[in-house]
Amino acid sequence: MATTACFIIVSRNDIPIYESEVGTATKREDAAQLHQFILHAALDIVQDLAWTTSAMYLKSIDRFNDLVVSVYVTAGHTRFMLLHDSRNDDGIKSFFQEVHELYIKILLNPLYLPGSRITSSHFDTKVRALARKYL
Amino acid sequence: MDPAKTPLGQMLLDEITPVVMVLSTPSVEEACLKNGLSFLHMLTPFSSFNNIDVPVRTASDQPYRLQKFKLRLYYASAVRKPDLEVAKEHLRQVITEAGEKQFSELSLDTPEINHVLENYQSGNAPSWLHFFNKELIRAVSFSEHETFDHPVACLLAVSSKDEQPINRFIDLFNTNKLPSLLNDGMMDPKILKHYLLVHDNQDGLADRATKILTEMRSTFGTSDCALLCINSSTDAPVKHEENPWASYLWQNSDGSPGQHLGFFLNTDDITMIKDLMQDFSSKHIIPSMEQKIRVLNQQVSATRKGFRNQIKNLWWRKGKEDGTDSANGPMYGFSSTESQIRVLGDYAFMLKDYELALSNYRLISTDYKLDKAWKRYAGVQEMMGLAYFMLDQSRKEAEYCMENAFTTYLKLGSSGQQNATRCGLWWIEMLKARDLYKEAAPIYFRICGEDILHSAVMLEQASYCYSSKPSMLRKFGFHLVLSGDRYNKCDQIKHAIRTYRSALSVFSRTTWSHIKDHVHFHIGQWYASLGMCDVAVKHMLEILACGHQSKTTQELFLSDFLQIVQKTGQTFEVSRLQLPVINTSSLKVVFEDHRTFGSASAANTRESLWRSLEEEIIPSFSSTKSNWLELQSKLISKEYRESNVCVAGEAVKVNVEFKNPLQIPIPVSGVTLICKHFPSAVEVKSDENISRRENDNAGKCEELTACRDMCSENSFLASEVDFLLRGGETTMVQLSVTPREEGTLEVIGVRWKLLGSIVGFHDFDFNHVKKNTLKGKGKGKRSTNEILKFLVIKSIPKLQGSIHPFPDKAHVGDLWHLVLELRNPSEFPVKNLKMKISHPRFLNIGNQESMKSELPACLMKKVDSVPSGANANPFNKSDTVFMFPEGTTVQGATPFAWPLWFRAAFPGKISLYISIYYEIGDISSVIKYRVLRLQYNLQVLPSLDVSFQISPSSLRLQEFLVRMDVVNKTASEDFLVNQLSSIGSNWEISLLQPADTIFPSKSLKAGQAVSCFLTLKNCRSLLAAKDNISLVPKPVKNDIILVPQGSEDSVYDVSSEPLVNFHHYEKQQQELQHEAQGDLNTVDFVLISRPLQSNSDAGFVGPPVVMSHYACHCSTASTGPISWLLDGPRTLHHNFSASFCEINLKMLLHNSSDATAFVRITTSDSAVNGGHLNSANTAVSESSSDDQGGWRHVTPVNEVKVTSNISGTQPETPLSLGSVSPYIWSGSSSTKIRLESMSSAEIPLQICMFSPGIYDLSNYVLHWNLLLAEGQGDQDEMRRQSGKCVGYTYYLTVLQST
Repeated sequence: MATTACFIIVSRNDIPIYESEVGTATKREDAAQLHQFILHAALDIVQDLAWTTSAMYLKSIDRFNDLVVSVYVTAGHTRFMLLHDSRNDDGIKSFFQEVHELYIKILLNPLYLPGSRITSSHFDTKVRALARKYL
Repeated sequence: MDPAKTPLGQMLLDEITPVVMVLSTPSVEEACLKNGLSFLHMLTPFSSFNNIDVPVRTASDQPYRLQKFKLRLYYASAVRKPDLEVAKEHLRQVITEAGEKQFSELSLDTPEINHVLENYQSGNAPSWLHFFNKELIRAVSFSEHETFDHPVACLLAVSSKDEQPINRFIDLFNTNKLPSLLNDGMMDPKILKHYLLVHDNQDGLADRATKILTEMRSTFGTSDCALLCINSSTDAPVKHEENPWASYLWQNSDGSPGQHLGFFLNTDDITMIKDLMQDFSSKHIIPSMEQKIRVLNQQVSATRKGFRNQIKNLWWRKGKEDGTDSANGPMYGFSSTESQIRVLGDYAFMLKDYELALSNYRLISTDYKLDKAWKRYAGVQEMMGLAYFMLDQSRKEAEYCMENAFTTYLKLGSSGQQNATRCGLWWIEMLKARDLYKEAAPIYFRICGEDILHSAVMLEQASYCYSSKPSMLRKFGFHLVLSGDRYNKCDQIKHAIRTYRSALSVFSRTTWSHIKDHVHFHIGQWYASLGMCDVAVKHMLEILACGHQSKTTQELFLSDFLQIVQKTGQTFEVSRLQLPVINTSSLKVVFEDHRTFGSASAANTRESLWRSLEEEIIPSFSSTKSNWLELQSKLISKEYRESNVCVAGEAVKVNVEFKNPLQIPIPVSGVTLICKHFPSAVEVKSDENISRRENDNAGKCEELTACRDMCSENSFLASEVDFLLRGGETTMVQLSVTPREEGTLEVIGVRWKLLGSIVGFHDFDFNHVKKNTLKGKGKGKRSTNEILKFLVIKSIPKLQGSIHPFPDKAHVGDLWHLVLELRNPSEFPVKNLKMKISHPRFLNIGNQESMKSELPACLMKKVDSVPSGANANPFNKSDTVFMFPEGTTVQGATPFAWPLWFRAAFPGKISLYISIYYEIGDISSVIKYRVLRLQYNLQVLPSLDVSFQISPSSLRLQEFLVRMDVVNKTASEDFLVNQLSSIGSNWEISLLQPADTIFPSKSLKAGQAVSCFLTLKNCRSLLAAKDNISLVPKPVKNDIILVPQGSEDSVYDVSSEPLVNFHHYEKQQQELQHEAQGDLNTVDFVLISRPLQSNSDAGFVGPPVVMSHYACHCSTASTGPISWLLDGPRTLHHNFSASFCEINLKMLLHNSSDATAFVRITTSDSAVNGGHLNSANTAVSESSSDDQGGWRHVTPVNEVKVTSNISGTQPETPLSLGSVSPYIWSGSSSTKIRLESMSSAEIPLQICMFSPGIYDLSNYVLHWNLLLAEGQGDQDEMRRQSGKCVGYTYYLTVLQST
């Protein structure tokens, strides 16, 4: 399990629709905005990289000091962004794939408007469980 | 692209040039200072040449010409490593100054992103950044490991005034004054020297000077001496059109204007200086450098080039390896080969022979690497990169070299940091020259060292790299924020604000909440620390609605915000304040035109519900108008129809929902509506006003203030509300505004005061909000402002009404006496009152007389009173609309009261709606009538459940057996069941068992169920049969007292006013549920009970004394209108040996319908034909084994006895009669009779039997046919007109008589 990890789902309109701090590190007061800043800045790189490959998993695309940003882009151009400090490529890949499945289930919900914030607590607990398992 | 034309090329051509060390005597300086210049500065502008045109030959004798050339002049004292601390302080100064300057230029509006990008496009960063970079590079000059900063030549200047000038020259080049580089042996002390005699023309003629010059020439050699005459201009100061010194003297920040510099130097002087410098460089410096290159090159080739030398070198280095292990590697003296190679490379570089430079750098870099002289290695790598760049070949190599150098410097730790910075900056410039901005940005990031201030500047530059096309805006913003943070840490608040504000151009519309909050919060804080609280508040406002943040952060934000606001000491007025959040879609407007509301809940009820309720009581205009063209417009002018109308003095209420997005409570005070009132005359103008307001956003605030001023004019009165919103709470607040004068009232928005210091406004702007007004009136297309615009008309009376005491809770059946009270506070009377109630089953309008009646008493049967014939049909008035008596007016202080009866009809949550219509008398107004709408909610709990089952009695015609089941469905209530009554005079009931046995405890406990049996007698038919003449019905006993209440055995009068009325509605209701049946065969029961006094529930307003339960349409006849009874003996003895048995029976027929009936009785003899022998079928199948006569298995005991009796005597008979029915109907097989309405008839019947046994005489069928009167069939088609009834079981036992 990574000591610091922040997972964000960004909709195709660059709006964060799901955020969670999944790291084990004790929370620093400014961690939330720093993580947001890093991930937000990494979107610039995703934007360029996403069209150069057909793979959904873009591996780690950006880094800030010792924090690495890994990104997974779905077909609908929803981006799963993980900020982490551990190097566990396989684990991250499986994490993304499983979260993708969960996300598809969310999308299948007729009451969920695509692009709106994911408020399902079920989704949240599942994602956290996956993070514990893989990261 | 020519590398020399790029910024980096320019920089290299400027910076990596030969250094000339200047040594001068004080008198020389003195002479120069007359011009405001030092000697060095005087020469500087003339030491760079754009077109020097000197022929040079390379080491391999390739000739080329140098065009551009520059000398760097330094005093000997400056030729040393700059002091780090001083340099830092200087840089800080530079930054601070730039900060002040930039900040003052900063506009207060948030910059548009496009604007920002244009500014920073193509690396067009602020100029101070360039300067800063230059200074940073300069900070590492004169290092030991690089030779391009080592002086190439030395310029010695002595004034002609000096005593013994020749000695002065020698003194000047005294070793203890020389820089350490020369003394330490890092540099070759044999340096080219040039001797210059400076003569001040103001001191006299040049005779002495020329004399000294010749002396010098003889001493130092002719070529190395020169004379410079200055200050030739005697009196008039020379004005230089283009002052050559101005641009070089940037350091003179105290700002002596350039014009005054050098005003004693005339054109001759300047030309002389120029010539001197040109001569010096082209004739001395360049040839000497060229010469040195040749010499060194030869040496290097001799020692290092060639296979043998390389092997030797390698061997030698290996042996040397273990000896020197110091941090910087071995020291290399100027005479060492390594040092010479480096000098060779640098000289070649300076003379733009990059090929040669590169080859030497390459050669030396491996040596340094082997020696682990990392700093030198890095320096050489750096130069290799630059040489590659200048050659414009192998870009990859160049970058690789730069990176290598950079990382090597970084590895050295703090000692290499400065060099790393310079190397990085060159590297970046190299990348920028190739338009690789994106690659350059991370290098800026890597340059950031321990010095926070420097890294702030570097990060800022990195962000500008990201802004170049194609721009990466998010990275741009992020780096600006990072840089701003570092500026902040170094107390460069102004820079911090500047960077954050630029970042805001990226983040201003972001949905990434933490980012937005962070940026705004810090800008706010910083502005506040600068004392610019207004701007600070503006930014802090952005972060107030920070529901996503943690509670502590929210508290921090809010407290900081408050502090800033308090610092300003004024109340801010902010439109669209985000705290608390106003849910515009929840906005609801309640106003009263002709519709008035008794309570808020009434106003919240759907308009359509009221409309359907009021359909009958409101006069419709459509009926009165004769022609669609006119009248409508006459009745109400267009203006009145199209706008909302409200009455002066009556409040317009607006419900607004406030939501607190935070987790901490926030106090909100002084919530009022912002309204505008126009007197009727300026109606037209108001439209202009509004449109102007919409266009003019800037002037909004003033407008609003103006509105509040108007408020003080007393044309309307707005209510104020204060409340505290807890964390996450949502509150609906009702605000009201009461217009006082006629005209137009417009509700513009709402205003509130947050935390007692900041005033928020919110305009109700519906442009994209779905309208949710209550009174749509089908005018959905109206413009948004129209909805909140009201036409105020003059005051008219308004009724206030209430019902009391109205219960909140009741049990089913509770009967209450309520009073409707109407008040009219105005002086004008209202008349023509009408009322309609939505649930007549619950509420019943009483009579004026029953106003004073007490509840239990008024229901009691008066012993001596006439049976209430007067109330027999109370529904002569309209069934639904109640008209108050003619002439009823309500006026003044005395309330008008009217009795109402309440009965809880069914369980559940019930809303009762009451509409009271009234017309306004005596005043002419647009509104002719008004409607008062009252709404009451109550909860009805289940109590007793009563059901009846009626079956005809087999003994008597017109008598029925009734089973009553009463279940107490409450959880805790006990009831006394007092009385059961049948309604009407047709039915008489009596108990089969004494009441005491039914209710031993006298009460019905919670959950208890009780059944009792009664007989019911139809006395109507009996009476009718007895005497048709008597019209007045005799009182019949239709009440049963089940549990006597109290001592007096008084009986409730079920035909008293409320009970009979409620019965009517119950009957109507239950009629819908049941199949419609003949009126005459149904009976309605009323069960009257009362709760036991142990009533602890406080929810009841006084214990209801009486409860009534109705069971209507309990049908007595299940088969049809015809009832019959077969009458005859049940058991008889007959001697079958003598003859067959003949039995006479009677059939009593009764027609209970109100029409004449024809009845046909058909008998059939076939017993096996089981179709119509329903009841006997089972008996037949049981005895199928011995089909003996009419015998059936009745009881085993009888069977044994009886069979033994007959078996011996009549063995053959059953066989002979095997297929024949055991009895035969004698007489006609079919009889037809006519039965008048409500009459009875008797038909004789006869059967014959041939053997003893038990017989079931049920195989007959009754066909009946009603002869309906004309029109009756139409009225009720559902009623059956004919039918068939199967006879019922009648057992007859015939025994053999002895």
